Amino acid sequence: MIFFAVILGSMFVSMIVQHFIGPLPVIHARLLLMPVIMFYGALALPLPGMLAVTFCGGLMWDALNTQYGDGGVEISAGWSIVLFAALGAIMSGFRPLFLRGRWEIHCLLTGVCTSVIVLAEYLMITIRRQPVHFMFDDQVWWRIGGAGLAAAFISPLVFFIFNYLAALTGYDPQPERAEPKH
Amino acid sequence: MKQKMHIAAVAAFVILVIVTFIVLGRGHTTQRLQSGFLGMISPFLRHGSSLDRKYNEVREGLKTLKQLEEENKRLVVVNKDLSATNQTLRDMEAENNKLRNALGYRERSVFKLMPARIIARDASTWYQTIKIDRGTSEGVNPDMPVLTEEGLVGKTTVVSEHAATVILIADENCKVAANIEGSNEKGIVRGERMAEHGIPQIGMIFLTKRANLQMGQKIYTSGVGGVFPSGVLIGAVKEFKVRELDGYASIVPAVDLTTIDDVFVVISGSK
Repeated sequence: MIFFAVILGSMFVSMIVQHFIGPLPVIHARLLLMPVIMFYGALALPLPGMLAVTFCGGLMWDALNTQYGDGGVEISAGWSIVLFAALGAIMSGFRPLFLRGRWEIHCLLTGVCTSVIVLAEYLMITIRRQPVHFMFDDQVWWRIGGAGLAAAFISPLVFFIFNYLAALTGYDPQPERAEPKH
Repeated sequence: MKQKMHIAAVAAFVILVIVTFIVLGRGHTTQRLQSGFLGMISPFLRHGSSLDRKYNEVREGLKTLKQLEEENKRLVVVNKDLSATNQTLRDMEAENNKLRNALGYRERSVFKLMPARIIARDASTWYQTIKIDRGTSEGVNPDMPVLTEEGLVGKTTVVSEHAATVILIADENCKVAANIEGSNEKGIVRGERMAEHGIPQIGMIFLTKRANLQMGQKIYTSGVGGVFPSGVLIGAVKEFKVRELDGYASIVPAVDLTTIDDVFVVISGSK
């Protein structure tokens, strides 16, 4: 429970910190910290915890990012919860491997899922804004892919920090990992 | 036992999501949620912003006494110049109001401006917004124009007690009715979704195909729509091209939206 609160608190803080991290040079993609922490939560916590983390993550995301178009709210608040839960479920599917102490594939998957969030946002605003015009030039792909690359790049560090915090709070996120041989 | 718990968790989650959709389905509830969340994070953004400024000041280095002296001299000259210009404008405004009265027009109201500091820039990928340190307690409400001495910046959307989100004119969702200096052309200024080398782009749509605008022609708000006051500079024409259905002008914004630190919210006289 304490570790769950630590993850939620960190997600909240990361939403604030994200404001002070500008776009990445050249590719202009964003470093999205909150999804990385949320996906770690989806791996480290059992199913109820994963659902709670993605629910709170989606709600915070929408509370911060929902925009207003001509006819009121552009994308209904709440869609991020569904999207985050779906991606969290995919991450959770790889949990058995994580429990055994592995995290390489999970870091890559964190990057892919982060890109999916940015892509989904782009698709939703494109469909919502009239006339519908799907524009997929290099800049768009770099923003989508770049966010994923950045997330995959920082995720080992984030996973390491949170494994350490888990140990501090007495929670073992990888109970089945092989003990080092003496 | 574990499976039952999982089923219960999924069921609870689904119910929560449905309730969330129902509750947030109404626009004003979403706005209230956003306002509450903005209120929660704004003290942190404010402190983070001031730390960021201090860090930048230290990084840029302390100025020598001589540099400060030179800057002071330059500022005194600028101040005198601005005071003179201001006085001239006041006279012109009074004269303009007299003439308007004589013509039977409603006297043009003078803006009441609320200075605000930018405490954060947008953290999302596809939107162009900033957050300022003024909210409802300072008289700021949604849909109030935001500008600088150079020109139009955007309008407020979500407002909490001591902070507000401002959608920039570079965002696709911010549409401003505008007209062009030295021409009868009217159109809508709106942001482009894609930035060019990280610099937000804006353009003017719904112009006639025979508009034939020249580079450098200035674009001002027309006041149509009721949100933005008329006569505020938006930018200048960069390029004009004829499209299938209308004419399109790309615009160089009057305000550098990537570097501004301080803005003004028009809290009265905007309508």
